[in-house]
Amino acid sequence: MAQEKSTSASAKLTELLKLQVGSISETIEKEGRTIFGGSNNLLGTDEITDFCIEFLQLLVALLESRDPHDDGSPQFHALEMFFNGLSKQILVRGGRVEDLVRYIQFMQRTLIEALAHDKKNTTVDDTRDALLFLSGTFNELILAVFQAYLDEKERTINAQEAELRETATPITEIWDGVLTLPIIGTLDSNRTMLVMEALLNRIAKEHANAVVMDLTGVKNIDSQVSHHLIQMMRAVQLMGADAILTGIRPEIARALTSLNIDMSGVTTRASLSDGLKEAFRRMGIQVSHKAI
Amino acid sequence: MSIPGLHLTQIGSGDFLLEPSRSLNICDQDQLIERIATRLQQARASRLYYDLAEQAIIDPVYYAWLNALARTTGAINVRMVCVHMQPTAAFALAQFTHEIPAFETALDISGWQRTEQ
Repeated sequence: MAQEKSTSASAKLTELLKLQVGSISETIEKEGRTIFGGSNNLLGTDEITDFCIEFLQLLVALLESRDPHDDGSPQFHALEMFFNGLSKQILVRGGRVEDLVRYIQFMQRTLIEALAHDKKNTTVDDTRDALLFLSGTFNELILAVFQAYLDEKERTINAQEAELRETATPITEIWDGVLTLPIIGTLDSNRTMLVMEALLNRIAKEHANAVVMDLTGVKNIDSQVSHHLIQMMRAVQLMGADAILTGIRPEIARALTSLNIDMSGVTTRASLSDGLKEAFRRMGIQVSHKAI
Repeated sequence: MSIPGLHLTQIGSGDFLLEPSRSLNICDQDQLIERIATRLQQARASRLYYDLAEQAIIDPVYYAWLNALARTTGAINVRMVCVHMQPTAAFALAQFTHEIPAFETALDISGWQRTEQ
């Protein structure tokens, strides 16, 4: 019975849409131009026209589907994907998610107003069902827009984090076979593991004989990170390269001793320059002032 | 004399290269170690390079095998140097072992010879 009712409501809505498609399209297109076009410069005039037409076509396809209330149907999915794509496009161009949500609400309102114009052939029940259908559908569409917004934000944050990691731990080949790794900022377990992976791959790639790891820029360290750091040094040595740790601040040295970290297999030097000298010495490289 | 599961090649005076193949069965390690040690002793070897290029992961069992072999070769005055350890293997090995291994390590044979000089 309910299925029959909703089918009748969607049939009425489809009919209504078909009858008033011109005015509905014109209204939402006009609002679209105000929000996304002109000086906002988020979408071109043709783009706005195209998406309005596409939206109405997808909505009609949903209304004509076997069960318009089924949010798992291909027609519903197509409509969701349409809004997902549109929101990504607008967000990438610097648009705000609030504007997009307001615009979707405007679309919903326009359809409800169109429904109100057709009083002659519609019963109260039909109107109620149509309103329920519209509110349910548009709520899902708003959720799709928010999902796209969150995905986009997460992607941006991940990209920024990756960029920060890359710049905060620059592994540089300072001499043939000598790598330096100045670590800046806070070391956490996740970052230490990433650095370790990058460093070991770099040793294999460059055939590095020595790695000088400088901790001058590290302010504090906890027990878990200390263990990872020692593991990193051990892994470097296992690959056959020399590992030299430099720039350990007094407070970090104290923390390492209080945490009972075994530093016996680790070569340490006071500063980065001392570490480099030690690496060169081990490789048999002599650097001296030029005699004038 | 061939040893099943590995290739043992003389690469210089006193230097030997051990390349394990996929069929290496380390469950039978006592017999394998004896045969390797016999071969090295007969050839008056002084160094054994163990090639780990194909070993993506070193687990505790494989590590025990490497250590046992290194200790045995050490007993007959042959230094064992593991070369070409993969980053993934070094990463995994550093996670579980806290001791200094019985073998030495080098990026490759030439790199090790250079540092020895």
